[in-house]
Amino acid sequence: MTLDIPTLTAEFERAKGALKSYILRITANKQEAEDITQETYIRAHRNVANFKGDSSVKTWLFAIAQNIARDHLRSLKRWPEDVGDICKDAAMKDPDFFREAMTINKTSPQAQFEIREHIAFCFTCVSRSLPLEQQLSLMLKEVYEFTAKEIAEIMDTNEAMVKYYLHTGRGKMMEVFDKRCALINKEGACHQCTELNGIFNPKQNAQEEAVKIQMVRDAAKKDKEHLFDLRMTVMKEIDPFTSPAAELQLHHLEFDRKVMERHLEVA
Amino acid sequence: MKPLIATLLIMTILKTAAQDSQATTVKTTFHRETSVSTIIKADPAIIWALLTNASDYPRWNSTVTSIQGNIALGEKIVLKSTLDAKRSFKVKEFEPTKRLAWGDGKGLRTYTLRNNGDGTVTFSMTERIGGLMFPMYAKYIPSFDASFNAFAADLKKEAELIQSKSR
Repeated sequence: MTLDIPTLTAEFERAKGALKSYILRITANKQEAEDITQETYIRAHRNVANFKGDSSVKTWLFAIAQNIARDHLRSLKRWPEDVGDICKDAAMKDPDFFREAMTINKTSPQAQFEIREHIAFCFTCVSRSLPLEQQLSLMLKEVYEFTAKEIAEIMDTNEAMVKYYLHTGRGKMMEVFDKRCALINKEGACHQCTELNGIFNPKQNAQEEAVKIQMVRDAAKKDKEHLFDLRMTVMKEIDPFTSPAAELQLHHLEFDRKVMERHLEVA
Repeated sequence: MKPLIATLLIMTILKTAAQDSQATTVKTTFHRETSVSTIIKADPAIIWALLTNASDYPRWNSTVTSIQGNIALGEKIVLKSTLDAKRSFKVKEFEPTKRLAWGDGKGLRTYTLRNNGDGTVTFSMTERIGGLMFPMYAKYIPSFDASFNAFAADLKKEAELIQSKSR
């Protein structure tokens, strides 16, 4: 099977949104997401004759992007599970963070704080505590709905390893959120989404907003697998570049990444 | 007919025993060797991943408290288990999806995977300890049998669980 340039361009445009959000979620870096997405198209264009049709064009594009990002991602230290606590402390000591965020909040059309958007933001940060292969497999499967076979192609590994990464990554994330997230566990240590709701959207009742989310309504069932699936549903519904609170959340993500870079440098 | 039924029964018993054998220990004056094997319905790569991801052991293996270090050829690992409070080993053999061995001055533990070609793998684990001084400390070393049985059962359960997941 051959791929011509107009078809490649059309396929790229269809995959571009998912590709860019995936890169953002694995790098936590808006500029890198933009650059890698662009570089992916350039490399695909240059190597279009190498496309044999063994996988879908979308899978091939994700594999190219993954290849571009891989070495850089491997060179980065993994984040700790309590990234939220560390970044909250840093934000409380940094007057610029709230000043910038409040300006975005008041002036941007994409800065209306929503709890569900913070859930997605939170998962992006916490999933960086997983070993890299587990994080990538989990994102590709649970959020971008690739099959294990496709993920193996994207990550240049085999299906058995992908199954292992998915099983271990999913299990670890379920435990972390079960322990930390106050939305699903009354004893959970982290209330940041409702706290930030009070700062950026004080007219919105946090509890009323929270119960609109299926994951919160089903929390009492204590079914970790089900609650994780619902968390992933929230992830799937949100495009971090086009969502109603995108600019505010991207500002938070940029702040968290810089805090983590400093934190891990010292550690 | 009776001898035929008896023969079939014996063959079935032998086959079951071969699939999931209990740990056995052979002792001599200067050595002790404990072995266990089990049939696992999983891809060898899954079993290999479980055997070589050090930090993941405590999650699935009830006999391991922690393993520090990188399980790769020539690397040093520190194992804390239900048998030993702390013991250091060097990884001496590392043949992906086939054979792994680590050891110290006293002994060598070897894991082997044999792909049966029918979707199953025969997993075997052997630890041989000993040497000239072995008679002096042999009585202080606890039996490994129960721990080996638990290790093999845990590995089988976890690998088959991962294999069975369609997600």
